[in-house]
Amino acid sequence: MTELILFNVFNGLIVGAFYALMALGLSLIINLTSVINFAHGGFLALGAYIAYELAPYLGFWGALIIAPVLTAVLGLVVERLMIRRLYGRDPLYSLLLTFGLAYVFEDGLRYIWGAQSLPFKVPDWLMRPLSTYLFFLTGYRVFMVVLVAVAVIGLFLILTRTRLGIRIRAGTLDLETVSVLGVNVRILRNLNFGLGIYLAGLAGVLAAGLLGLQPTMGDALIMPSFVAIIVGGLGSLVGTLLGGLLIGVAAGLATVYVPSASEAIIYLMMAVVLLARPRGLLGEEGMNL
Amino acid sequence: MEHKNKSGAISRRAVLQLATATGLAQLAPPLLIQARGEQSVKLGLDNPLTGTYAATGKNELSGCQLAVEQINAKGGILGRPAELLIEDSTSGDAGTAVQKARKLIDRDKVNFLLGNVNSALSLAMAEVSYEKGVLHVVPGGHTDAVTGTSCHWNVFRVCNTTRMLTNAIAKTLMEKYGKKMYFLTSDYAFGHTLQDGYDANLKQFGGTKLGEDLIPLGTTDFSSYLIKAQATNPDIIVFLMNGDDLLNALKQAVQFGLDKRIHLAGANTELEVLEGLPPEARIGDWVAEWYHVQPNVPHVDEFVAAIKKKTGRVPTARTWFGYVGAWTCALAANGAKSLEAEKMARALQGMKLPPEVGLMPDTPFYREGQNQLIGSLYVGHAQAKGQAGEDDLFHVDTIVHGKDVAGTVEESGCKMTWPKA
Repeated sequence: MTELILFNVFNGLIVGAFYALMALGLSLIINLTSVINFAHGGFLALGAYIAYELAPYLGFWGALIIAPVLTAVLGLVVERLMIRRLYGRDPLYSLLLTFGLAYVFEDGLRYIWGAQSLPFKVPDWLMRPLSTYLFFLTGYRVFMVVLVAVAVIGLFLILTRTRLGIRIRAGTLDLETVSVLGVNVRILRNLNFGLGIYLAGLAGVLAAGLLGLQPTMGDALIMPSFVAIIVGGLGSLVGTLLGGLLIGVAAGLATVYVPSASEAIIYLMMAVVLLARPRGLLGEEGMNL
Repeated sequence: MEHKNKSGAISRRAVLQLATATGLAQLAPPLLIQARGEQSVKLGLDNPLTGTYAATGKNELSGCQLAVEQINAKGGILGRPAELLIEDSTSGDAGTAVQKARKLIDRDKVNFLLGNVNSALSLAMAEVSYEKGVLHVVPGGHTDAVTGTSCHWNVFRVCNTTRMLTNAIAKTLMEKYGKKMYFLTSDYAFGHTLQDGYDANLKQFGGTKLGEDLIPLGTTDFSSYLIKAQATNPDIIVFLMNGDDLLNALKQAVQFGLDKRIHLAGANTELEVLEGLPPEARIGDWVAEWYHVQPNVPHVDEFVAAIKKKTGRVPTARTWFGYVGAWTCALAANGAKSLEAEKMARALQGMKLPPEVGLMPDTPFYREGQNQLIGSLYVGHAQAKGQAGEDDLFHVDTIVHGKDVAGTVEESGCKMTWPKA
């Protein structure tokens, strides 16, 4: 039993790391622009399908590098043409827009590639378990965790060491002052949105290798991301990372005892956090949309 | 026009407007209307076009469309053109499925209701069709209750019951691979009744259930369930799920190398699932409910060619379900020489499908007193690629006669009450 629990904790951390990757992109966008991007799952799925198209020409590794970039470019265009118009307005508008966009993405993917699930080929050597004992530790899952770690470290370096990152962080705290100081807020928001969508695209390619492609793949993966942000705390990227890992472990442990509640447990966790500490575990007080 | 209150929260008025807009959207015309004509006979298909079951729902739609084309080419229903009205029931929202069923019946005045892929939605729709007295064909909702404890005189089902599926394969699995089984089961009507079927078979043939996990529909990560299942050291891990859930579970089981140590199997599998799997994950023993490679069965090749011409792909069991579903409506009306639901339902009692519709080794028929289609089941194993081409992803090992695994009407729990004259 102890082994089973340890396995599930370990496995939960792997799953949680993936939730965190999706949630970080979402969190970046919420923090700076107050836009709750319901289309994040759609961008994720789009990243996966772009990789599917690129893979025959560029191989898995080429697709992994290029697809998130192309997804981010599309994100920049969407921000420029649609999202930008709704800044400063009632959050309901951007919520409705992104909600609609999510449907457009899903149906668009279904229209182009069909409703049928499609397999996504990952190099064989990556798909093998590393040991018979820790059979759930496949090369791909380890690679995924390493990539998440690299992406998270890269993101933190961008946010703390680059001018763009420092401006994004400053804008998160007080966008008006940042604007008064001469920073082009339009470009800042645009690039921030693109960065968030890049992470969605990256998560999409990784998910494709794990699950294959389905037009609905973003739907299933996006809700845990929202929960990770709320549990971790709005405004805190470290909190989002922690939130992702926590819900991954909680879902894994629930499987051991009450399997049918493995999905409900993360929402229960969210409810408990909201009741006990409404700003989330590492959220900043007063942070709202 | 902004509806922002001082706190920046969403106002009550905005929420009301949103709710009204959502309500009005439900009154929009059906997505697609085909073969429009004067005094047409209307078939209303209320089936998933979005969500987890979109692929299977769309294949059922293709089958219905082909059937309607053929029905019209042969003179229509009682000399009137057949018309197919289509609504998206969603994949799992019973409220939407019921709302769309009511819309098709009350507003569009359909003569027949068809649907649903999802068992729970089929049951919910059956209550509506029964209340309204409309002939209802369930092409692909498997749970036993549809033609069992919740059966109605007006509700007919094309696909097999879950009990038929488990009866067809459980004993063979125990003989071939061992009697210790661990179950990963979808937590809704379909999974529950499949589990009941396996439980009954284990009891009858001396098998052991090492454990059972009820898994929410739409789960994507099965790793923790697989860890738990392998820890019990079973002979077989049995996947009682369908669609993308089955696809994801199988894929992860193969990634973990579980197929090298434990046999993987289930109840039914579908071509939609096998096509979505990488070749190495096309493994395990399953029941197919119809298969496109049947060289010795008349008319199958014509059906395959017609669907290929229409969709570019081979038909799946779902395509056949939809095809038979729509043809059942025409056969009922032409048999009864009436569009009165009760007369049509009586005409269907015991009716055998003509060979060009049945397309099975056994002639499928609607069993009297239960309204369940009984035909053939195909027990076999998934394969990376077969001899009949790249779509040949299943190898049929045995044909099981439906009547041998269907039990009796009494055992099904169906107690049908007909309307009083």
